[in-house]
Amino acid sequence: MDDTSRPRPGDRADRAASDEWLADFEAAARRPLETRMRYAFIHTYKPGLDDAAYRSFDTTADYRAWCEAHLPDWLGYGRV
Amino acid sequence: MAAFEYRQAQEIRNAFARHGVRYLFIGKAGAILLGFPDTTQDADVFVERTAANGQALVSALREIGFGLTDVQAAEIARGKDFVQLKNGPFDLDLIFAPDGIESFEDAWRRRVEVEGFPVCHIDDIIASKAATNRVKDRESLPRLRAFRDYWLRRG
Repeated sequence: MDDTSRPRPGDRADRAASDEWLADFEAAARRPLETRMRYAFIHTYKPGLDDAAYRSFDTTADYRAWCEAHLPDWLGYGRV
Repeated sequence: MAAFEYRQAQEIRNAFARHGVRYLFIGKAGAILLGFPDTTQDADVFVERTAANGQALVSALREIGFGLTDVQAAEIARGKDFVQLKNGPFDLDLIFAPDGIESFEDAWRRRVEVEGFPVCHIDDIIASKAATNRVKDRESLPRLRAFRDYWLRRG
C-alpha cells in the first residue's frame, strides 16, 4: 500500500483535506442508502467505452490493454 | 442510458438471489454501498466462476432485461474474465477475475452485507484498485484509504 499518498498529520493543508473528508464521510453516513446512491451514480457519455452494447475479454489484462489502446487518456483508464 | 439507481441495485439483488447467483459488489460502486461519498458511472460485480453460477447469472440477467445472444450467454456462463454489458436496462460490468484479489472465496468470507447487498470488504476494494493502478484509481485511493480508516473506526 502506498502510505505516502495519505494526508500526513502535522501538515496544515493535508490536515484540512483530511478534516474535509471526515466531514464528508460523516454527512454521507447520515443519509439513507437510496439518497447516497442518487448522489453517487452519474452518467456521461464515455467515448470508446460506450460505443458497443457488449464487450468481453478472456483476461483482465486483455481488458486493461484494450482500454489503453482505445480510450482517450483523459478518461483515466491508462495505467500509471 | 440513465444513471444507475438504487432501484436497479435492488433488481440485481433480488434477481440474483432468486437464481442463487454468488456475487459481490466491487469497485467504487461497492465503496459507495459501504458509505463512501463519491461519484461513479459504473456498477461492477465480482462473480464467482463456476459452471452453475454462470448459468444462474445468465438466467438472472435475462430476467432483468439484458438482451443476451446465445454466444454472449455462453461467454458469460463460461466466466470470461471481464464482460461489459450495455445491452440492458442499465450498464453493468461483470468481473470474474479482479486484479488484487486472490479468490472469490476469500472475498466472500470477508464480505459485508448492506441492506441485503453483498459487498466486498473495503480492504478488497482498495487492494483491487491499487493493483489495477490506473490513473483514475490512483487519484481516488488516498480518499478511499481515509474512508477505510473512518469506516473501521465506526465499526
